[in-house]
Amino acid sequence: MKTWLILLIRVVSIVIGVSACFGIDWMSHNQVAVGPGLHFAILPTNEYISRIFALAGLYVTLAVSLNLINGITGQFSVGHAAFYQIGAYLAGFVSLTYYGFMGLTGLPWLLAMMVLGGLGAGVAGFVVGLPSLRLRGDYLAIVTLGFGEIIRIIVQNVDKLGGAYGLNVSPKFQMIWLIWLLAFVCIAVCRNLLRTAHGLPFLAVREDEVAAAAMGVNVTKVKVVAFIVGSTFAGAAGALLAHYEGFINPGTFAMDVSFIILTMVVLGGSGSITGATVAAILLSWLPEFLRGVKNADGSALMLSDSSIIAALLATGIGVALIKRFLDRPPFKWRYLAVTGCFLGALVLKLVIQRLLNLSPALSVAHIEAGQIRMVIFAVTLIVIMLLRPQGIFGHHEFSLAWVKGIWRRLFPRRGVSA
Amino acid sequence: MGEGHLASAFPATGSLRVSAAVLEVKAATLRFGGLVAVNNVSFKLDRGDLFGLIGPNGAGKTTCFNLITGMYSPTSGEVMFQGKAIQGSAPSRIARMGISRTFQNIRLFGALSVLENVVVGGFLRHKTSLFSAFMYLPGCMRETAHLRTEAMELLKVLDLQDVATVRAADLPYGKQRRLEIARAMATQPDLLLLDEPAAGMNPQESEDLLRTVRRIRDDFGKTVLLIEHDMKFVMNLCEKILVLDHGEAIAYGGPADVRSDPRVIAAYLGEPD
Repeated sequence: MKTWLILLIRVVSIVIGVSACFGIDWMSHNQVAVGPGLHFAILPTNEYISRIFALAGLYVTLAVSLNLINGITGQFSVGHAAFYQIGAYLAGFVSLTYYGFMGLTGLPWLLAMMVLGGLGAGVAGFVVGLPSLRLRGDYLAIVTLGFGEIIRIIVQNVDKLGGAYGLNVSPKFQMIWLIWLLAFVCIAVCRNLLRTAHGLPFLAVREDEVAAAAMGVNVTKVKVVAFIVGSTFAGAAGALLAHYEGFINPGTFAMDVSFIILTMVVLGGSGSITGATVAAILLSWLPEFLRGVKNADGSALMLSDSSIIAALLATGIGVALIKRFLDRPPFKWRYLAVTGCFLGALVLKLVIQRLLNLSPALSVAHIEAGQIRMVIFAVTLIVIMLLRPQGIFGHHEFSLAWVKGIWRRLFPRRGVSA
Repeated sequence: MGEGHLASAFPATGSLRVSAAVLEVKAATLRFGGLVAVNNVSFKLDRGDLFGLIGPNGAGKTTCFNLITGMYSPTSGEVMFQGKAIQGSAPSRIARMGISRTFQNIRLFGALSVLENVVVGGFLRHKTSLFSAFMYLPGCMRETAHLRTEAMELLKVLDLQDVATVRAADLPYGKQRRLEIARAMATQPDLLLLDEPAAGMNPQESEDLLRTVRRIRDDFGKTVLLIEHDMKFVMNLCEKILVLDHGEAIAYGGPADVRSDPRVIAAYLGEPD
């Protein structure tokens, strides 16, 4: 079952990727009527869908480039949105002020802006990479977090960059194929790195810095290169975002964006490029998909305490059972612990209500599915992390051999002991 | 008796023999605040030496290794490698000069395969650029294939070829120790530092290891400096032994000399009343 799911995700992402490269842009601009069947195949049929599509592409670039810093080199960076922002503002501002410089217009200009945004962010990455030579783990996370906030606040207070209001980027380029091309280049670069011996020093630094240095690995260079390459891709993605949206403001690059990117890396499996890609696509679509839940049935959900309790219990037991089915470990109560905490809180709430003699109407809440979509989103993340703490793909990359291995484990052949 | 051998361990500076030495530690001292971890220690390794560094726990043996490999730089004194002063250089630079080491508490790259661990060691000889790796250019692919072949050869020497694709962290203890040696050998060093290679091994395993280390010296022409607590292992293997106690060199000589040295016996067993 797991294999099918992963295969399905992979196939869908390949379909998305390839179709994004060839002609989706053309489709969305010519308003080609695509039937409801294709709609479910996630082909962009309108502005809304194609925007999610574009953002998914940008998030793939961001997640895969952060994966190079975080997952592959092991430098815990939490400020990736800052590089994204630097790229976006640099490209946006230059485009606004100097568009047509040296006779460049259209696609060549956009490519130049991509390079510019990438270079700017790369320089920033170099600067942030320097403290990483001395700091490890939590401490580096704090520095990068601080850096992200500093960039956002500086931009917020510079009037020339639009301040808190934001910046209107005048020539808009909505080239989804270019966004996905960037994502593919990013994936290809990371994948190539890991396929050659040059990737090993990066992994060695993640595993053991001291031993890596003793083996002649220039730890300084490896870390700085990881930061530079990772932030360059983020900057290029930022440049594309600025021209795709036509409007950027500091809120677009707030701390939670950094965390979402980090979540994508961890959820997909730290160090796995496939994981980062799939998680980025999933997490870009999930909130939007959940938005659609309300539209699907058109009615609001009625949630009472008892139904919440039932749902939580069912989730907890379900998680425990699925975990038991998949990995066959001894049954562990700790998978029920989270549910237990929620349950305890609810019981407490009921007791307090009874004590205060509050009206029973308070215990029934009208909640529209769309309103609690971010809650469902968060719960989904928690459930996935409980099921697979190592991330969807763990350290693995997608390959036929890997799929075959999982297949063997799930469905052992007769005569071969499980 | 110990005095005489100590004198031969400290040859007069400026003598012609100095340049023949692979490694020469000259009056190295390392202080951590008030604590003197290594006090005025000098010794010299000639090409092809099998040199043992022994002493009770906390004598400063591993600290000596850290001084040589650049993890610490000495408070005073010099570390000369092939006639060049190397103290204060970065560990990675010293490794590229031709000094490689293993670690007392095994420090393998756990998530990497056995083969990949060894390729990391060989990587310092790479010639292609990082950019060619990003682009997956043919030169880089060839180099990767070459490094992997080389690493595989080395695994055969250390009898690890069967576990080449296993994650290093999943190896049994004895094989992890051997892999540490393989990884250090992969850098093709002139001087190999082994920090307690036989620790935790059973008699059969340490017997095999003894043969392997000897082979490293005889067949590959490496100079070996090793720390070891297993006295049988050291006495059988090493031709020269330096004994440290409380950061100071207390005896130097062949196995027989060291074994009978009263100061060594005192250091290990305590002073007779």
